[in-house]
Amino acid sequence: MSNTKTIPADRAGQSIWSFLKYELKPKAKIFTPFNIISAPIVLLGIVIIVIRFAKGIGSVTNLTQEVPWGLWIGFDVVTGVAFAGGAYVITFMVYILNLKEYKSIVRITVLNGFLAYVFYAGALLLDLGKPWNVINPIIGNNFGVSSVLFLVAWHFLLYMLAQLVEFSPAIAEWIGAKRAHKILSGMTLGAVILGITLSTLHQSGLGALYLMAKEKIHPLWYTEFIPVLFFVSSIFAGLSMVIFEGSISQRVFSDQVSEKNHKQHNKILHNLAKICAVTMFAYFFLQILTFVHGKHWNHLNSPMGYWYLTEMIGFVLLPMILYFYSFRKHNITLIKIASVVTMIGIILNRLNITVIGFRWDAATHYVPSWMEIVVTLTVLFVEIWIFRWVVRRLPVLRESPAWAKNNH
Amino acid sequence: MDEFTYTNIFETKGIEYIIVIAFLLLIIVFWYLINRPIKVKESINSAIGYLNDKILRIPRGIFYSKNHTWTYLEPEGYAKTGIDDLLVHLTGPVKIKQTLNPGDKINVGDKIAEIYQDEKMLEITSTLSGEVAFINEQLISQPELLNRDPYNKGWFIKIKPNNWIEETKEYILADSAPKWFQNEIERFKDFIAFSLKKNNPSSSEVVLQEGGELIDFPLAGLSTDIWNDFQKSYLKQ
Amino acid sequence: MSVNRRNFLKVLGITGVSLGTGKQLKAVPKPKSDKEFYAILYDSTRCVGCQSCEMACASANGLPEPDPEEWAEVGTVRKTNETRRTIINVYDTSKGEVYVKTQCMQCNQPACASACLTEAMHKTEEGPVIWREKKCMGCRYCMVSCPFDMPKFEFNSPNPKIEKCNMCYDRIIEGELPACVSDCPAEALTFGTRRELIVEARRRIAESPDDYYGEIYGEHEAGGTGYLYLSPVPFEEIGMNTNIQKKPYPELTKGFLYSVPTIFVLWPAMLLGLHKASKNNKLEEIENE
Repeated sequence: MSNTKTIPADRAGQSIWSFLKYELKPKAKIFTPFNIISAPIVLLGIVIIVIRFAKGIGSVTNLTQEVPWGLWIGFDVVTGVAFAGGAYVITFMVYILNLKEYKSIVRITVLNGFLAYVFYAGALLLDLGKPWNVINPIIGNNFGVSSVLFLVAWHFLLYMLAQLVEFSPAIAEWIGAKRAHKILSGMTLGAVILGITLSTLHQSGLGALYLMAKEKIHPLWYTEFIPVLFFVSSIFAGLSMVIFEGSISQRVFSDQVSEKNHKQHNKILHNLAKICAVTMFAYFFLQILTFVHGKHWNHLNSPMGYWYLTEMIGFVLLPMILYFYSFRKHNITLIKIASVVTMIGIILNRLNITVIGFRWDAATHYVPSWMEIVVTLTVLFVEIWIFRWVVRRLPVLRESPAWAKNNH
Repeated sequence: MDEFTYTNIFETKGIEYIIVIAFLLLIIVFWYLINRPIKVKESINSAIGYLNDKILRIPRGIFYSKNHTWTYLEPEGYAKTGIDDLLVHLTGPVKIKQTLNPGDKINVGDKIAEIYQDEKMLEITSTLSGEVAFINEQLISQPELLNRDPYNKGWFIKIKPNNWIEETKEYILADSAPKWFQNEIERFKDFIAFSLKKNNPSSSEVVLQEGGELIDFPLAGLSTDIWNDFQKSYLKQ
Repeated sequence: MSVNRRNFLKVLGITGVSLGTGKQLKAVPKPKSDKEFYAILYDSTRCVGCQSCEMACASANGLPEPDPEEWAEVGTVRKTNETRRTIINVYDTSKGEVYVKTQCMQCNQPACASACLTEAMHKTEEGPVIWREKKCMGCRYCMVSCPFDMPKFEFNSPNPKIEKCNMCYDRIIEGELPACVSDCPAEALTFGTRRELIVEARRRIAESPDDYYGEIYGEHEAGGTGYLYLSPVPFEEIGMNTNIQKKPYPELTKGFLYSVPTIFVLWPAMLLGLHKASKNNKLEEIENE
């Protein structure tokens, strides 16, 4: 365990309060380029949020009666959750299939997933017209069980709990709570199984939300198979995010990562590239199947048709080939590029269904207002801040303390 | 579908979700129940596996005593002592703690050393009296010597015996050793069945496989209680 | 021995509780309610475009009074919004100018009610689909799901409402007529049970087949709606959406929602099995590495 200035040793007998006080202090430079850019945006975002609550959603967004869901739902919630899919895939590999070589990235992926869900659920609250009534479907006023959104909302809640349980051993190690650590570690397998089940259902559920909007989404994107497509694409969306975020974290937090894990990381990226390539191959064929099933050949020869082809060929087939090639040639840089292209493809796919293809024929096209974009960035930046805060203090990237590793 | 009165195609969704919650809770219980007894049975089965006298190394020219230590009188007059192959195969890989120093005077029944595995420990007692001349330091840093060469490089201490002839009267000579080892293995099988039953009261399915063989290192995975039992009832005769 | 007994009692307890609560919450199939859906029949051959229904609706529902000089015009499509629950439009058709009234269709199996996760959108037994303010959280999923785009949201209010026609539900259960029906001077709007109105509509078509296009809009659209339309011309000519599917919209989510409990049961079992099968090390070793 390396002992640089940014990493505190074990709590070492301090009282919990003085330990937490010590931990609250900044662990690195405050005026980094990222902070300088993000802080004013966050401040502006907070102002906009206040306006939103004072004067209604319409005062800060470009939503219309025909396009009631815009960037906040289409991007923050639907796309963000797809990217958080890395958590259930990696925990599946580590805890169900016992592939120990991925153990070193489990914690950071689960942390990423947990924060993503918390913040995107938070972003959702901003988009609700009456957020104080959000407890209604939870307490039973009423349980709208016929609603896909009811299912998605409950799954988000339960999944956040499951991820918290999965991540809690790291918190226990941080504050030195040995008994709690033992109990929580025992619950990990159950939380993982629950998490994977919930993830399957809500990743596909986000797609199922749009099933009733049959005539309102462009026929090239609307299909009854949307739930399946969303689920499969969440696998490689999540893994691409793991590759992307992992590359950044390994550099930014390199003082935390042990020598062994540094060397192993490239190997992990290499393996993930293979998994992505295979999954995208299957996904591409699923898309072909749904296209043939839908019989929308004549729609291809139109602006939307070309856009559809761009998404499928440029941002599904192409990155799949990139992953394949970079896997065979062991080219780590190319893997990282492939992950970025894949992620753009996922953003495009989700936005096409939720915003661009939704009421594509409406009189006024929906374009997000700059204020919506600022708020989206605010949510993202605050999430990154918290992520950074946690990684610098808890044993997420660095090794667990010795007592946690033995049978205790 | 009735077009004139109220119908709800999702009528049963609520009760279905309740059933799902019940299922998830019950599967924890179910999984626990279906897995538990097998674990105890595994211990029994694993304790009754493949160890027999055929695989033990039993060199000639040394004396064995009933607590499974051996002694060899060297030409220089020192009695080299260690633990026998059976004990090594019963416990599995262990670490050694030497509790004596050169110059110590010991009697029959005194502790020579401790062997331990995590927090489980066995005492090795002396069957000779005399003065400790040498301690095998190499054994502490290389405990695998015990497994590789228990009768030569894996010696524990060398003592200058006071009363060699008297005290070795009860020893087992190399010729009788194979038969004795066979008996000891059978005695161990009885012991382990008894000890497992005693220390795992919840298992009602303790079964001794007739004609079964012991696996190698049967004590390795078992609990401290069983090791203490082993010390008290098996080694002390 | 004692642990086994404990487990047994636990299992018994859980089974008992689930059976017990299950019984209470079980949706006992209601005895076939004899309450039939109410509906409204709109006959555009009789409508003169006076827009009294717009006035009556606004006044009955506390909405701002529409500008009396704002008439429907050919070429302009007026839409309902958060201050207008119903709107009149006029179209130039093969049989001259025809007026059309637009409002919530009060579907038999509404997409909005199925979509609403708090059951704020609610299909009453009497027929009208109502919005219940106290439950609504403003998620606008009803708006996404409605094939007619009828729920309208007060985007510019910090405490926003959803506005749409609810067939004057409060008046109906008191035995009165909906405001638009009672105020229509041309008897273009008729109120009754859905069954009666379909019979009446068919009768009108049969008696004067040259005056009417031979279909009732709303008889099968979206699985049947509470607002029924008669028109002199095919419905596309008066700007009505003929792409609406003939089956109820909630059935589109049936496949997904029905598979949820199945996955909840199969996935944990399968994952446990996979876990056991690939366990070549003790789990504790992995945890403590």
